[in-house]
Amino acid sequence: MRAPKPSLMISIPSQTSFLGLVRDVTKKMAESAGFTDGTAERLALAVDEATTNVIEHAYHGSGDREIELRIEDRGPEFRVEVVDSGATVDPRTVPRVDLDRYVTERRTGGLGVHLMEKIMDSVTFRRSARRNVCCLVKRKDPAP
Amino acid sequence: MAELTVETRDVEGVTLLYPKGFINAHTVRVFEGEIQKALAQGRFKIVVNCGGLAYIASAGLGAIMGAIEEIRGNGGDLRLANLNETVRNIFEILGFNHLYRIYASEVEAITSFRRAEEAGS
Repeated sequence: MRAPKPSLMISIPSQTSFLGLVRDVTKKMAESAGFTDGTAERLALAVDEATTNVIEHAYHGSGDREIELRIEDRGPEFRVEVVDSGATVDPRTVPRVDLDRYVTERRTGGLGVHLMEKIMDSVTFRRSARRNVCCLVKRKDPAP
Repeated sequence: MAELTVETRDVEGVTLLYPKGFINAHTVRVFEGEIQKALAQGRFKIVVNCGGLAYIASAGLGAIMGAIEEIRGNGGDLRLANLNETVRNIFEILGFNHLYRIYASEVEAITSFRRAEEAGS
């Protein structure tokens, strides 16, 4: 009998003090899905950034809301959904990374989303049942 | 265990920061606080030894960017040393390797400040 693929769902308050927990569970699940320590750490960073975005943009820093994390090993891919019921944030309105303006204007906008997109194979945003769902997917390398 | 601790020490006029753990939107205050402490003491030659750093999120990169103008404006610099694969990867993804000097070891980073002084004298 094949062992079931692990999946995990947690709800956390919209507070940055819970980002450490987000990092720990994501890393643990990524390692259990077979990713190396380095890749698991980067996946944890991507989910940290996605959760931070929710706290800062969807909930505007309000700490009394809820963020749901669904982490799933789907066999060929590792999927994390970060779900909130805050304001709809159109990712297209997030300023794109502009390297030239980093230093001169101290612009940090868009860095988090850029990191997420570079670490993951896909990052998508959708609105579902009045909630925002940020879906992060990392494919596993095919077995040699 | 604390999610981030930052030890500091001064060597040959260079302030060394040793962040241990991960820097994100929550822990960035600790990191930023140590940078600001150095600046308040007029110490503008800073090396961040990233050996104990699991990762640095955009909030941490923002903290560096927020301080770099003052540091360089006072004739100093913030340089990075001893990056692991993950942290190096983050810096490369964001092109920070073009904006900041990165050294394989702490000693090389400290020496780079001395070389600049010798060249300028």
